[in-house]
Amino acid sequence: MTDSDADADRSGTIALVPPRYGPEVVGGAEAVISETAHMLAARGWEVEILTTCARDHFTWANEYPAGTSRDGDVTVRRFETQTDTPGIHRKVLGDRLLSGAKLTLAEQQLWMNDSLRVSGLWHHVLDHGASYRAIVLAPYMFWTTFAVGQIRPERTILMPCLHDEPAAYLDIYQPLFSGARGIFFLSDPEAELAERLFRLPARTEVVGSAITLPDRYDPDGFRARHGIDGPFIYYAGRREWAKGWTELLDAFRRVHRSAGLRLVTSGVGEVDLPPGLPADRVLDLGFVSDDERNDAMAAAAAYVQPSALESFSRTVLEAWGAGTPVIANDASEVVRWHVQRSGAGVTYRSQRELMEALALVGADPDAFGAMAAPGRDYVVEHYDPTRIGDRVDQLLLDWTSGTGSAPAAEGGAR
Amino acid sequence: MTELMVTPYAPYRDGIANYAVQEVAAARAAGRDMEVLSPLPSAAQHHLRLGSALGMGRLIRFARGYDRVVLQLYPELLFGACRGRRERLAVWGLLRVLCSVTKVELRVHEIEYDEPAGDPQARRLGHAALSAAAAVTVHTEPEQQRLTEAFDLAPGTVTLVDHGINFSRRTETTREDARASLGVPADAFVFLSIGFVQRHKGFDRGVRALDRLDDPDGRARIYVVGDIRIDHPDLLDYREELDSLCRRVGGAEFRPGYVSDEEFDRWLVAADCLVLPYREIWSSSVIERAGIYDVPVIATDVGGLAAQAPAGSRVVADDDALAAAMAEVAGLALGAETARDAADVPREQAAIQRLIRERADDGGRAPLEADRLHHTPRASTDSARPGIPQVKRLIARVTAWQVEPVAGHLDEVIDRLRTDLRHLEERIADLEGRND
Repeated sequence: MTDSDADADRSGTIALVPPRYGPEVVGGAEAVISETAHMLAARGWEVEILTTCARDHFTWANEYPAGTSRDGDVTVRRFETQTDTPGIHRKVLGDRLLSGAKLTLAEQQLWMNDSLRVSGLWHHVLDHGASYRAIVLAPYMFWTTFAVGQIRPERTILMPCLHDEPAAYLDIYQPLFSGARGIFFLSDPEAELAERLFRLPARTEVVGSAITLPDRYDPDGFRARHGIDGPFIYYAGRREWAKGWTELLDAFRRVHRSAGLRLVTSGVGEVDLPPGLPADRVLDLGFVSDDERNDAMAAAAAYVQPSALESFSRTVLEAWGAGTPVIANDASEVVRWHVQRSGAGVTYRSQRELMEALALVGADPDAFGAMAAPGRDYVVEHYDPTRIGDRVDQLLLDWTSGTGSAPAAEGGAR
Repeated sequence: MTELMVTPYAPYRDGIANYAVQEVAAARAAGRDMEVLSPLPSAAQHHLRLGSALGMGRLIRFARGYDRVVLQLYPELLFGACRGRRERLAVWGLLRVLCSVTKVELRVHEIEYDEPAGDPQARRLGHAALSAAAAVTVHTEPEQQRLTEAFDLAPGTVTLVDHGINFSRRTETTREDARASLGVPADAFVFLSIGFVQRHKGFDRGVRALDRLDDPDGRARIYVVGDIRIDHPDLLDYREELDSLCRRVGGAEFRPGYVSDEEFDRWLVAADCLVLPYREIWSSSVIERAGIYDVPVIATDVGGLAAQAPAGSRVVADDDALAAAMAEVAGLALGAETARDAADVPREQAAIQRLIRERADDGGRAPLEADRLHHTPRASTDSARPGIPQVKRLIARVTAWQVEPVAGHLDEVIDRLRTDLRHLEERIADLEGRND
């Protein structure tokens, strides 16, 4: 336990509910939940993760065994997903949503329930919700958050990980935000967006997210392990259209020769090279360990964040921790905010600007890399794990002092 | 013993779903092994498309594995997808079969009484099904009497259960916090009409009654909270009418949109008085929830509301009594109504035209020409011929991935066209105004 208010009453169990959880799960919100769970456990809280057996957020297939296990000091309860609907409503209504159409309430509810559902998890909270001191839900868009958030809103703390995207404007999310006991935001832009879209409860706070930087990096070892000798740009995360991956590939295809760069990537999803981009210019590492990712960050000439839908963007901060400059999509308000505050990167507003940025990296990687100098200090100053952990710990103490907790039933929180 | 609850269920926001969740929670807390089957995918363990003979047949097969089945009964659950009288009769017959394969309890929330009154065969089959159930429950004595008479049931077949027996608080907020979170003035006297917006709930009556209060300080307010359940033309018309009325009556505010269970209760905490000016209803879960928070109720004397209303409630017979009761609880006198449609109609043509324009300009309502544009109609799957609806549904499902994006896009184009037309008509009106 840290020194922060060591004698405070941390009785009762804190439940954290992400849709997926596990070392192989790639996702910013999931990483924030994992980090928070362990920070709280280290400060003396009893912590449970209530999650699904799924690893893949496209198939939601049950890959982890259902039941209870331990992850360090944290109890993990897994429940099987139900994906027994054809998903046609989800697809059709989702397409309409993306095209800017306004869905009726009935359509919104249909859209929400035509994908992942987790009856076991929902009923666990129905049965044992009163025995949890707080139920922390993230991110806002998934069924686990939407449905579970309605059971014990007076004990619910939302970590929405909100983006400015069509789903955020759906009516069905209004009560989730307005009725929560409190909301943890990861950044000022996220909180401002939420204020524009929702009527918020009295208890809200921008807590940020802890970024744990490694003691050392091994960029040379990384290059040696993968046979890389020239400058490269790096992207880590989900290789999906929604994350800007295809946009990055397209820009890279146009400049890779003249810029003399390679693209190294890790994470999940198909790389799916476009015609005209030779396979040897793109190195897909697949899923990698945190250490390997950190070494890749340190070895890269620049880290590219092509996603417009970020609520925090941990990888950008990890890149700065490794002393690497960032090229980011200006459409992401939060990443633009990070870049403006740190001065350790550039943003692009068009494909043309992205190509120019990549060309500059290739033209003089060292000069471009010098821009990263203030990045590490920015991360340490704002996202130090001890400071963030103490803040979340104190907010939980303040916000949940009146919730109490009923005696636990069998199988519930202790 | 394994039990099955057949019901709409969370996270769908629905009065019966809410009721069922609380019954399931109470059963599970008492250690009973209760699972849930819902007609749409939900938090229930199982889902099955119901509302037809085929659906009821599937339910019979499914229910065999359970020792007891509790069915939250309302017309749409049994008959929602039926093609006609013959199928409805078949559903009644199959409900009788269901009652013979396992122990079935029917919680009757709504039932269509015209059917047994006008169709002796429906009455006979309904009688057989209801008589075969292990229990048939309703929430009020008038319903008990009406149901017994309608289906010629033996006395004692229909029993009463307390509507709010499993209801619990969904919020611990204070009135001050509730009002702040909902954007309701702290010092207002707040009337509340909440629930699905349907003409038979008569929310317009409460708004008109507010308009009759002599309230020079504008302290009394009425909030109409809730939205339509489905996009049916009648419901859309009524929502628009209600919205327009609320815009015209000072102190009235329509808050359409999705209301969670917690927000529902937060509104009750924020309210000084719940107004339920229903034109028809049998029982109300809103009254039960108001009772949890000791919110005074004014309700019209329909169905079982008088029996259900908690002590101290005002049960009124008509619109005059409704306005008088609202004036009394708010400590105000009755004055003249100002928004009554016939009241202030001017005699001059230009003034009438202006009034019509003003009333039509309710923020989003399209003028007449634009209103003629409708969204792309989807092919109907109805047919009287056996098997054809199933085939049509299959075709619709198989081709949906191609048809829906195109139709959806067309709807978008129509929406934009409506907006452009509206702007164009406003521009024309503007130019015409200059010429005058």
